[in-house]
Amino acid sequence: MNANKNSNNKKPSFLYLLFTKLFGGKKQLSLLEEEQMESPFRIVINNFKDNKVAMTGLIVFILIFIFVMVGPYFFPIDLSFAETSQQNVPPGFDLMKVPKELQGKIQQISIGPTFSVGISTDGKIYVWGKTKVTKAIDVKNMPKNMGKIVKVAAGYDHILAMNDKGQLFAWGSNRNGQANIPPEVAKLDNIVDIKAGYQCSMVLTADGYTYFFGNSMNNDYNPNHKYQGQIAQIELTSDAVVGLTFDGQVVYLGYQQNSYSNIPENMGKVVDIATTASTIAAVNEEGRVFVWGNVTKGEGDVPHTESKIVDIQGGRYHYSAITEDGKVVAWGANYYKQASVPKKLQQLEVTKLFTGYYQNYAVTKDGKLITWGLKGYPLGTDDLGRDILTRLVHGGFMTMTVGAIAVIISTIIGVIIGSISGYFGGRTDMILQRVTEMISSLPFLPFVMILSALIGNSMDTNQKIMLIMVILGLLSWPGLSRLVRAQVLSVREQEYVTAARAMGVKQINIVFKHILPNVISVILVSATLDFATCMLIEATLSFLGFGVPAPYPTWGNMLYGSNNSTVIQNYWWRWVFPSIILGICVICINVIGDGLRDAIDPRTQER
Amino acid sequence: MGKYIIKRIIYMIFVFFVMSFVLFFLYNMIPGDPARAQLEPLKNKLTPEEYQYRYEQLRKTMGLDDPLIVRYGKWIRNTLKGDLGMSIVYKQPVIEVVKTPLKNTVFINIFAIALALGITIPLGIHCAVKKNSLFDKTVQVLTIVGYSIPVFIIVLLFIYVFAVILQWFPVSGMSTPNFKGTPFQAFLDRLYHLALPLMVLTVGSLGGMTRYVRAAMIEALSMDCIKTARAKGLKEKVVIYSHAWRNALLPVITLIIGWLMSVFSGSLVVERMFNLHGMGKFYIDALSNQDYNVALAIQMFYIVIALIGNLITDLSYGLVDPRVRVNR
Repeated sequence: MNANKNSNNKKPSFLYLLFTKLFGGKKQLSLLEEEQMESPFRIVINNFKDNKVAMTGLIVFILIFIFVMVGPYFFPIDLSFAETSQQNVPPGFDLMKVPKELQGKIQQISIGPTFSVGISTDGKIYVWGKTKVTKAIDVKNMPKNMGKIVKVAAGYDHILAMNDKGQLFAWGSNRNGQANIPPEVAKLDNIVDIKAGYQCSMVLTADGYTYFFGNSMNNDYNPNHKYQGQIAQIELTSDAVVGLTFDGQVVYLGYQQNSYSNIPENMGKVVDIATTASTIAAVNEEGRVFVWGNVTKGEGDVPHTESKIVDIQGGRYHYSAITEDGKVVAWGANYYKQASVPKKLQQLEVTKLFTGYYQNYAVTKDGKLITWGLKGYPLGTDDLGRDILTRLVHGGFMTMTVGAIAVIISTIIGVIIGSISGYFGGRTDMILQRVTEMISSLPFLPFVMILSALIGNSMDTNQKIMLIMVILGLLSWPGLSRLVRAQVLSVREQEYVTAARAMGVKQINIVFKHILPNVISVILVSATLDFATCMLIEATLSFLGFGVPAPYPTWGNMLYGSNNSTVIQNYWWRWVFPSIILGICVICINVIGDGLRDAIDPRTQER
Repeated sequence: MGKYIIKRIIYMIFVFFVMSFVLFFLYNMIPGDPARAQLEPLKNKLTPEEYQYRYEQLRKTMGLDDPLIVRYGKWIRNTLKGDLGMSIVYKQPVIEVVKTPLKNTVFINIFAIALALGITIPLGIHCAVKKNSLFDKTVQVLTIVGYSIPVFIIVLLFIYVFAVILQWFPVSGMSTPNFKGTPFQAFLDRLYHLALPLMVLTVGSLGGMTRYVRAAMIEALSMDCIKTARAKGLKEKVVIYSHAWRNALLPVITLIIGWLMSVFSGSLVVERMFNLHGMGKFYIDALSNQDYNVALAIQMFYIVIALIGNLITDLSYGLVDPRVRVNR
């Protein structure tokens, strides 16, 4: 030992140690040194360490474990979250990746749910982000020979553009006629503004007339509204149209009486209006901002600014605005950091600001482009627009918790029943064995499903999760109890047990204090392997729709609903990532279990 | 032996009754009133008094007010007579409804089990003989992967590779709709549709089975009789296939017999995912349609299958290996 210590006075680095421990390079010990190895426990650990496959499994499992245990603090989850505009977005961070050719000469940027479209000062048009709106439609496929583009508008799934001759172009989804330019619009030659919204498009002429085409069922718009000929600016919410007249009055251009048409009075002369999906904001000459509509996500919490606001822009659920001296403020929903203006912008003077959905683009006085908001999703989103990474982290937490608690329950029951039935024998053994056989003869999955369907249908979500854990625990102990019973049977005639009995130790203490520690290794291996099994069963149950119910994510129920060829083919990220992590995790646990068994009982290794 | 079998069968019947009671109890916990459900269509035609009278009459004839144990007695009597009640969805006796899915499941599983055995036994033997070779180690790792990955992930993967990318096989279904042709062509068409589920079922069972065969074979190869056989100068082939394999067969065959009983039960996940009209999917559909008579019948059927399977497995230890005395 002493010589060994001396040869090691140069301390090896951590990485070196990690790799030598992992991938061999272990120093051969002489026979005497090997004799000095102390406890059997130590031998088990050393055996396990030498098993490279098992060690790799352990390290990977620990990494995954840390990932799902620490992850929830970094990725908080909102269980009721659903966002139609962000459905099935592929993984990637390119939502705000402005093409190089456009930078420095931005004329205008218009923002859609997952794509943005921009025009340069020389009239060229660029589209970036996730441009595939559906399987067949890609908004990147724009019409050719459009000439010099001067105005552009991105809608929910289509784009509208106008060239310097006043010609209109539209492409993208045309299911509701939103990209079908009607003849009376096509022959207009005095268009000043174009807007594209949810399944609809709007055109504004210089003499204050508005034209609408697309889905008029979803969007409340009255083509014969009384302000025709007076409109200076139009804005679209996700289902309504508002206008600003030449004399600075905000008007609602639909039929209905609703929260949008309930326009605040005494606003004075309004200079700019903007809309989010469900609210409208107006800023008057004095820089005061008024917000009305269905204000639910903090759109009305206008921050105090030092100089007055002159220009306002609306995103999906937030607003951003420029003040007189070129400072930018933003407020509203902030779950994608879309309302957190970067610090470096405070020193700069912003001349142009473009906001839409969850993205913001600000152009400073010296032509620099600064963006903030939603960059993209590392692992994509699912059918409700929820971030898959977040769900993966929380799902892993849930899956592991369910698995762990089920295993704890089943291990406790298995150990107690197994050791009692093994130690006492006789009639106790007979009865317990019959019970064990009864439970193990139950067809497992069907029975769990029936329990979860019958008992669970009158429970709320949390109780149902508990129910799954308890059911799994209550039904999966027979294997372990048999194992423990066999071990106890083989141990109970040994001398130390006889000695304990002779000394008058209580029977129950002999079982749990003297015998049990000697069979703990078997229990450990079995519990490890059972953990993997429980996770698998939970995943299968949730996948079939009988496990942890919907808003709570688990690795199994994230795959629920991906069982059709459309999802498998087009939205691969929805099933690939949960599958991979679940697969790796279970493989690791099984490898660790096998490695433990080999380490504890080297005889099995020879097999 | 005879005495042991009788004891086992009596015990089996006991377990059957206990389980059936538990299940019956569970199903009775479901909120709902069958009498009211039956009268519901007539509600508008009857006066309230008449309705109340008919309702109470019906409750009496259906025996809904009897204590649980009496109702259980009635139900188990009918069940043993073969009357499992009516399916609410199909409006037919349960026995009639179950026939088709059972046939389908047996058809699929026979192929799957034959395939799995055909692959795993030679593979397991080969791995045991070439123990610790590169091939063996690769197979060991693959089998761990195989039994760790849940079936539904294998299904997703296979659909993606073979049905979506390569387009060799259809995504789901049992046969081409309105297929016309000779019976043989119809059979081929069916096999074509079932190829993917069969592959999944086979791959899913490869992992565990291969490891089991390998372990049994290694155990057998370390026996003294093998050393003797080798010392006699027998050819290695004879040693492996004649001496060792016969000994390894004992544990394997008991597993296979138990496995054969699963011919009837059907895979819940695979059948559902490939939309095969088999027992597993039928069971899930019955549960989600709240067709509880059908679900209860299938559940009872599963339990009977499992019990018989356990009995046969236990008995086969003795039948296969005369050295084992089962009636300890």
